[in-house]
Amino acid sequence: MPLLQIQDLTKKIGKKILVDHLTLEMDKGEILGLLGPNGAGKTTTIRMLVGLISKSEGQVLINGLDTSQHFEQAMAQVGVIVEQPDLYKYLSGYDNLILFSRMSKGVTRQRIDEIVQWVGLAHSIRDKVSSYSLGMRQRLGLAVALMHKPLLLLLDEPTNGLDPAGIRELREHLKLLARQQDVGIVISSHLMSEMEMMCDRVAILQKGKLVGVQRVSDMVQDEHAQVRFEVDRPDLAVQLLQSLLSGEQIDVEQEQLRVRIPKNRIPEISQKLLDAGISVYGVTTIKRTLEDKYIEITGGEPH
Amino acid sequence: MNLLIQNENLKIYKRKRTWILIAIVALFVLLQIINLHTSGSPAASEDWRAQLEQENSWLTEETSAPDALNIEIRQAEKQLLLNQYHLDHGIPPQQSAWNFAVDQVGNVVFAISLIAIIIAGEIVAAEFASGTIKLLLTRSASRTKIYCAKYIASILFGLALALLGLLLSILFGSLIFGFGGLDHSYLYVSDSAVGEIPLLQALLGSYLFHLPFMVLTVTLAFMISAAFRSTTFSIVISLLASVAGFVIAIAMNGWDWTRYFVFSHTDLTPYIWGDPPVGEVSLAYALVFVLIHLAVMHLVSYTAFVKRDVT
Ligand SMILES: Nc1ncnc2c1ncn2[C@@H]1O[C@H](COP(=O)(O)OP(=O)(O)OP(=O)(O)O)[C@@H](O)[C@H]1O
Ligand SMILES: [Mg+2]
Repeated sequence: MPLLQIQDLTKKIGKKILVDHLTLEMDKGEILGLLGPNGAGKTTTIRMLVGLISKSEGQVLINGLDTSQHFEQAMAQVGVIVEQPDLYKYLSGYDNLILFSRMSKGVTRQRIDEIVQWVGLAHSIRDKVSSYSLGMRQRLGLAVALMHKPLLLLLDEPTNGLDPAGIRELREHLKLLARQQDVGIVISSHLMSEMEMMCDRVAILQKGKLVGVQRVSDMVQDEHAQVRFEVDRPDLAVQLLQSLLSGEQIDVEQEQLRVRIPKNRIPEISQKLLDAGISVYGVTTIKRTLEDKYIEITGGEPH
Repeated sequence: MNLLIQNENLKIYKRKRTWILIAIVALFVLLQIINLHTSGSPAASEDWRAQLEQENSWLTEETSAPDALNIEIRQAEKQLLLNQYHLDHGIPPQQSAWNFAVDQVGNVVFAISLIAIIIAGEIVAAEFASGTIKLLLTRSASRTKIYCAKYIASILFGLALALLGLLLSILFGSLIFGFGGLDHSYLYVSDSAVGEIPLLQALLGSYLFHLPFMVLTVTLAFMISAAFRSTTFSIVISLLASVAGFVIAIAMNGWDWTRYFVFSHTDLTPYIWGDPPVGEVSLAYALVFVLIHLAVMHLVSYTAFVKRDVT
């Protein structure tokens, strides 16, 4: 049974359709990225998943439990951060944790201490949250979301406000959770390079519609690659390449040529260039990134 | 559920602001008692009989004045009877400072309610303002449970303030009027006759029977807080309504239409003394009338709180 099943999830406000018949499934231990330009409906989707806003249509099952009918049982297995991790500023970090621990079964003091260590807040947990930096609040929010050992973690832009080291740390943490404890994680973000490093799959949303689901490993293992040849006589090289790769587009930028070719033809083509008396200073494969795919799917607008 | 209420209490009492509000209540009670002490002391003179007789003749004049309000006439008549009782039984009135303390309970509960309104007006709306509502509603507790826990915590806070008021008036009263006064009886007027009950009982009863005012105003603030999610709106509207209701209920005391005015049923002390302000209105009627208002307010705020989207 999939951990999270979303069927025909739709949100309409007035005539506006914010999320349009979204259907998606994910398994335990998987990290799924929700990617989309501003206003695509990522936050709206997460809010609907956790019942903060009502669904106009559709169904959400968490570990087989319908969230509309078994809200309390379903939510007991979910940890969530929506947009900012807003906590009680006039309380200490520790009091915040105590507060939320009372709302879930089986969270002991020991578990609280453990999670405080884990998110790296041990030194400031007794301070008031009002004195925390954004990154520290993000960590505290993560502690609240994780303290009751949820099976499903929903994070709306969790890297917001974290420093590069913090982002890296978060990435490692989340991967560990997914690999070792089989937690399913949904992350929404704008940072495509982040998503690429963290996620197993990426779902791309645009104007409320799911326009594509991409397995990240597929992109890396793509057989074709963009290859850049750095040569001393580009004119000659272009002619040669044109004859070798009929039809392929060749971009020339000063002494660099860019073509899209199957990876296994790189040695052969390099050899041909050398044989024609062209000096080759460098051959680089340009990895096809999630960004390319994203722009291809969403039709060019990078946002 | 218990834990949820504990959580709400933690959020209330861990704030400095709450303790400032509690200090204001303590100060108010103290000022009331000091005020009674200073205004009541001249009657300690030897010729208190002459003073009371003079006061009685003023009061008689006042009641026959053509522009006298209902409430003024009623109060004057009561005072006449009480003064006469003092004269007849040879009790000097300065010992009746405690009597006044009982009579002031309405004001104390009024002040307490205004303070409790601030907490109740915030208890839901502030969660929306700070964004914490998102975490609160995405744990495994239904919105209904959160709603109930918050309402119970608001009422409990009002009750705690009332208890504090009661204890402080006994404490300050004993310190200022002397502990001996507690043995006296409270004098009241019912059916044109003066009766006596033990003072502590009167004080306690008076607090208890004034509580509907607190419950009503706290519920009003809570309703606006939960339904409209605005702290300022809920506190301002509820404060205005409470002050207006309090004043109108006093000014219009005894008028027939007040049987349909909820604030006229929030001071139930007349039923202790058996002296209802409007004929044919029973304690049960007053209670049911107040309860209907509470139910309607909850219907509005509960529906809004449970149904509306949290964005
Ligand atoms: N209460 C509302 N009423 C009407 N429209 C709304 C409401 N809330 C959100 N929207 C609209 O819904 C769309 C989706 O918003 P949402 O916040 O889900 O986007 P997002 O993908 O999270 O964007 P971002 O990347 O900026 O966080 C936006 O066009 C927004 O204007
Ligand atoms: Mg968003």
